[in-house]
Order: sequence, then C-alpha cells, then structure tokens
Amino acid sequence: MPRRQFLGCAAGTVAMGLWRLGRSPVRADASLTCVLLDLQRHGGLVESLSGYEAALTAAGVRWMRAGAQSVSPSPSSSRRAVLIVPGALEIPLPAVQAILSSLHAGASVILESGAGFAAGRDFAAHQVVLREQLQLRVEAPVPLWSAPARSRGIPYVDYTWPSPARIRDFSRVVPLGRQAGEIIARVDGLPVALKRQSGRGALIFLGSPLGPALWAGDGEARRWLCDVVARTEALPMAR
Amino acid sequence: MKKAIGDNMISKEWGFEKGLELVKQAGFDGIELWLGDVPWFQLSTADREVRELRRKVEDAGLAVSNVSTGLHWASPLSSRDPKVRAQAVRIVEREIETALLLGTDAILLVAGLVTEEVPYNEVYQRCLDALGQLGETAARAGVRIGCENCNAEHRFLMSPREFWQFLNDVHSPAVGIHLDVGNIHDTGFAEQWIEIHGPRITRIHVKDVMKKRGRCGDQSVYTNLFLGDNNWPAIRAAMTKVGYDGWLVAEMEARYRYAPDQQFYDTARAMDRLIAGRL
Repeated sequence: MPRRQFLGCAAGTVAMGLWRLGRSPVRADASLTCVLLDLQRHGGLVESLSGYEAALTAAGVRWMRAGAQSVSPSPSSSRRAVLIVPGALEIPLPAVQAILSSLHAGASVILESGAGFAAGRDFAAHQVVLREQLQLRVEAPVPLWSAPARSRGIPYVDYTWPSPARIRDFSRVVPLGRQAGEIIARVDGLPVALKRQSGRGALIFLGSPLGPALWAGDGEARRWLCDVVARTEALPMAR
Repeated sequence: MKKAIGDNMISKEWGFEKGLELVKQAGFDGIELWLGDVPWFQLSTADREVRELRRKVEDAGLAVSNVSTGLHWASPLSSRDPKVRAQAVRIVEREIETALLLGTDAILLVAGLVTEEVPYNEVYQRCLDALGQLGETAARAGVRIGCENCNAEHRFLMSPREFWQFLNDVHSPAVGIHLDVGNIHDTGFAEQWIEIHGPRITRIHVKDVMKKRGRCGDQSVYTNLFLGDNNWPAIRAAMTKVGYDGWLVAEMEARYRYAPDQQFYDTARAMDRLIAGRL
C-alpha cells in the first residue's frame, strides 16, 4: 500500500463514526469522513480513484477506501459524511445499495460517471442502473473534441455550485436529461452535473469526470472538491 | 560503438531478406526492427515468425540492435480512453516479448502525446503510472525501455532537464531515454542532452536536422548526416565523455529519390566517420 494511501486510510479509520466496515465497527468520532467506494473492475477510470485520494489527502480531509460490500452507514449517525463513487461504469447491486443506504442515512454521495468512453452495451447498462435505481436520466456520451464540436476551442466545464470553477473537460461527457434537481455544471451548453436531495442526503452526479483532473494536480478541481465536502453540512439541497 | 539502421528504411518491394543483404553490404552491424511499421513485423506476428526473423538477421551476419515502434502515435500511453491505454500497454509488452525473442535488450517507445485535448499534466501523470508498471515488467525480462525524445512532435518533455526529472519520477532503472539527436531541432543541443542523461541512454538515433527550417508541408526537417545543423564533433565528444559505447541507429526520414540503396552506403560511411571521430 502506498504511504499516501496508508495515511489516508489510517486517518479515515480513526475518524469513522458514520461508517461500519464489514464486521469490524470502529470507534466513533465526530469528524467528517469521506469514503471512496472502490468499484475495482467495475470502474471505468482507475485514475479517478487515485485523483480523489490525492486531493483529499492534500486537503487534510479524512478518507478511507472501501469496497461496496463493506460500506454500511451507521443508523446512529448524527453527522453527515460523504460517499464518493469515482469513475463509475458498471454499478453492481452492492454499490447501488451502498449509495442508497448512504443517502437514506443522510450522507452526501458524489457519483462520478466513468462511462464517457464506454462501448454501447456497457453504456446502456450504466444508463439503466442510473435510471432505475437512482432515478438519474443520462443521455449518450458526447465527444467534445470531434470535428463538429471542435470549433468551440474552450476545453473547460463550468461549475456554478458550490462555488464557480472552471475545470478541464475529459473529452467526452455524459449529459443529463430533464429531471428534478439543480444543474450545477455545463459544458458547451450541455448539463453535465446535478445535485438533488435524496432521502435524508444529497446526490451529486458528475457527468464529466473530476478525478483525472484531481490526479493531475489541478488546483481548481481540488478546491472545488473541498468546497463540496465542506458544504455537505449546509444541505438540504434544492429539489 | 556499433551501427544499425531501421528496417523501416527497407523498401517494401525489396522485402526483408534482400533488405538485410543490403544492410550488411553497406557495412552495418545490426538492424532496428520496427514493430507495426513493416509488413514482416506486426503485432499479429507470432512468436515462431519472430524467431524466424531473428534467424534471417543472424544468417545475414547482423544482430538486432533494438525493437522500436511508431504505434504509440495512434495509441498513446497517455490516452484518456482506457481501451486505448490498454492497447498501448499491450504494444509495449509485445515489444519486450519480441526483444527477448530477437536477442536484444532494448526497446523504444514514445512516452506520451500532449495535444490540445489532453493536457500536459495529465499526460505526465498517466505516463508515470504506466511506465512505473512497465518498468517492472521490463526489469524482470532484462530489457530496458528507452523513451524517445520526440520533443516538438509529442510536445512533451521538451528540455533535457525536464526529461531527466521525468525519469527520476519514473524511478526505474529499466526505464531510460532512447536519445534522438535530430529531434531536438532548435530547442537545444544534442550534446547537452547526452551529457545530462549519460548512463540512462539506452540507444542513440542519429540523423541530421535543419534547425531553422521547421516543418513545412511534407518537406522534411531532417536530412542525412553532416548535411544539417547538428554539431557532430560536439556530439561525438559528449558520447566519449559519458562513456557511451552502445548502438548508434540511423533513422532517416527523407529518402533518396533515386538509387535508394545508396543512402544505406552513404549513411554507413558517415557513421564510421562519426564513430572514429574523423570529423
């Protein structure tokens, strides 16, 4: 285990109040904790997970990495936490359950789609899970750099919440369809990120991956993530 | 020092065997095999066919200097698309496998490709990630990966210090630099690259460059040895200073319009003069 990951995990484990991991519940602590859901072979972007790890560590945020099977929010939690699902492609049932139970318990969930480069069948499965399990409507990936769109020449996604930020696009985006929630980012006029109250928690969907920019050390991406984490206590959010 | 030339210089009409004959007659000691660039050496070429290539090379009295590839221009290790990256890794793995089959200990790759779409910091990080793992594979195989300095072409690692820092960050003794003394163009001086990288140089590509021309349509900026602007006495002196005694590999872009075989002879003679320091 790399030292950075070890330190992050160690900090996260000490701080765990909201999360019980597997059969080994850990000591309660009031500090906010981020849990990175590691989808392993189901993820579409391995580097995204590394990006969140690096950014949270650099920001001094307590975090830990966990598999879907081992994430279960404590019903006695009194504070919010953040569950981050980096670079999701295939979202297996245990991961869906982890997301839903986290939302139900009042956590914020950042669900990042890693399906921009997915083949047709893989994307269709991604789309179905989002729609049927999480009531998120997404449309087919849009390549931002192909010939017709290339004239735009501005390689940024513009975020409006929780603070304005301009972050590099990732060549392809998974745009959102019409649905409840607040659009918090657009690229080329396309809605690509949304926040919505769900259960007692908040669901934040990212259709343009943030993780690779975090991994590459993008300062604005890191600041934006920290702002989101810091704001999780200021919710509820707009429906 | 030994001298080699790329098999992509061999005309497709001549074929591999006839090309090897010419390479030998021209006075080269070896040949650089370009995976994916010539019909006889493709990703789909089976192991037994690769062994057969080696037999032909040895029968011609030559050795394989190294395995190279241009496939990473289309499938870079720095691609954002995981499927493309997986293909890029597979290309490197096949280079390592075939290097072993061909009896050589060095491969060339183009580490990353900065584009308007994929920014420098991402490319850097992705290449570190990939080369860290590939370095372990190469080390186990006893093969060294030489990342070629393609400077202006891949818009990445443009200065020698930048490249040096990159190799420090990769932190693998199996990953070094395949130095091309022509690719530096007007951004620096080949002899300084040689001095900075010294023992990390896996192979050296030689060609001359017209530094002031720049690319203009299909007109090559590269030219035959001693026709361009490289300071060859300084390059030779730097090789001596760092103790480089490995392969020099001719890589010509502009080809003779007539009597193309003559380019092999002329290049070999020029390399003899370079090695001997008679400049």
